[in-house]
Amino acid sequence: MYTDAMIAIAHKELADKLKSRWVIVIALGFAVFTVVIAYFGGATAGVTGFRRMDATIASLTSLVTYFIPILALTLGGGIIADERDRGTLDLFLSSPLSVGEFIAGKFWGLFFALTLSTLAGFGISGILLITKLGTGTLGSYILFIINSMVLGVIFLSISFLISVLFYERSRVIAVTVFVWLFFTILYDLGVIGLLVTTKGEISTGIVSMLLMLNPVDIYRTLNFLSIGEFSVVLGLASVEFPSYMRPVLLWGVSFLWIVLPLVLSYYLFKRRYAS
Amino acid sequence: MIELKDVNKVYGNLKALDSVNLHIRKGEVLGLVGPNGAGKSTMLKIILGIAKPTSGTVLINGKVPSEKDWREFKASVGYMPERVAFYDNLTGMETLKLFARIKGTKIDRMINMVKRILSEDILKRKVGGYSKGMRQRLNLAQALLNDPDILILDEPTSGLDPVGSREFYHILKDIEERKEITVILSSHILAELEDKTDRIAIIKNGSIKAAGSLKELYRRLKLPLKLQITIKDKDEVLEGMLRGLGVSDIGYRNGYLIASVPSENKLRVLSAMLQEKERFQDITIKEPNLEEVFFGVH
Repeated sequence: MYTDAMIAIAHKELADKLKSRWVIVIALGFAVFTVVIAYFGGATAGVTGFRRMDATIASLTSLVTYFIPILALTLGGGIIADERDRGTLDLFLSSPLSVGEFIAGKFWGLFFALTLSTLAGFGISGILLITKLGTGTLGSYILFIINSMVLGVIFLSISFLISVLFYERSRVIAVTVFVWLFFTILYDLGVIGLLVTTKGEISTGIVSMLLMLNPVDIYRTLNFLSIGEFSVVLGLASVEFPSYMRPVLLWGVSFLWIVLPLVLSYYLFKRRYAS
Repeated sequence: MIELKDVNKVYGNLKALDSVNLHIRKGEVLGLVGPNGAGKSTMLKIILGIAKPTSGTVLINGKVPSEKDWREFKASVGYMPERVAFYDNLTGMETLKLFARIKGTKIDRMINMVKRILSEDILKRKVGGYSKGMRQRLNLAQALLNDPDILILDEPTSGLDPVGSREFYHILKDIEERKEITVILSSHILAELEDKTDRIAIIKNGSIKAAGSLKELYRRLKLPLKLQITIKDKDEVLEGMLRGLGVSDIGYRNGYLIASVPSENKLRVLSAMLQEKERFQDITIKEPNLEEVFFGVH
């Protein structure tokens, strides 16, 4: 399952991100970002100071939905293009290394880099928030961190598929931007448009299905389920979600969002390159 | 050992390989010769299993390899691609350690060979600061990490200066002396392959135009031999005699009479010249070189 070659690739990916201080910069970014939002989040209402944790999570969620996907997409988007441009892809392919080991090695290395930076960034700021706000909402905050890591891993997995499908750097960049725009903005505009054109007649089951087709919406839903105010913040106050829309289901769908692009990447990569 | 049967490779509208048939024997050094863009690298990638032929078959040890066979085959191959930039942030040694692990081996096994190719001082430096020649040496070192039975070298001396190029062939010779190794060597520098290969395959526009030893090729192509006579002055009598023996393209350069002799007339020409030995100081008959063979192939 875990071969030395796979571990070597994973180790190199993680070491690159640590050496280049990518992990530290992103972690610091997340930490500063969280503290600023927690302290100045109410500034528009003329109030500053640490707010309730639920409110902070709600604000953070709105921003993380934009930030983490682009971060993860750019992280994994170049896995093939970069190796190809460097000439090292042929070295990997000509060695007794399976496609699975190559993809898994790359994935685990970047997975640890991304989750480590997310965990460290939100973790450090979380400690500060708990000292100010108490441990009452610790559970919600821990869930927020886990959900943020899952969101990152989903988009990392999607980035692998992009990398395999469009192995030229310029195409990867263009598709990455489009995919990010699609999931963070265009998709929701489409759903809202559908609700408006059907005058809200559309069933909640269909709306729930549509939300599960977008990992960003799954993330939003998961966070707002944990703080109990999701329908208002989602702008879907009039929609009552079916009883099966529970975190377990959403995590299950998230898992599929991680696995399916990776499996597709594996088969496409194998079909294109490997013997 | 490795056989390509009617292999075609098409990229969009470009036919990179056109009905290639080639048999590579165990222990031989095969030179793959052709101009840039002729299809040499594509052929090497197909042999390595990192590009799939559009049609045709690759046989390894007489059979179509399964996924497991490919893996075993790759474990026995050292591949030196034409151009690899490697990772600027790693040292030479870190790079080799990484590729050793990927190949399922340990660098200790080949450390002496590695140190012969790149000094310890250079190995400790970041690859980002390497010259083109150093990167090419690193490229060779990584190809040898698994002590391969088959070495596939794509334009190995590109980027090396004459000293580096000479050293490269010395190392290759040492490897060949140490163990029986099959070498497939592609180059467009014809002169460097001439005395280093057992067989030559000439590839032009994606198809093998000729394959065989240099001797076999010039015989098959019926290329004339080169006659070089050391002579003081222009000698019209000698010229007339040579023309009578089928010698053509007679000219003078730097105190030599230079001409072409059909190979079947070699002995007749030599015997006739011995009768006239007072007319010249020395005589040499040379076989065509690879360049002449290459340009003789259409």
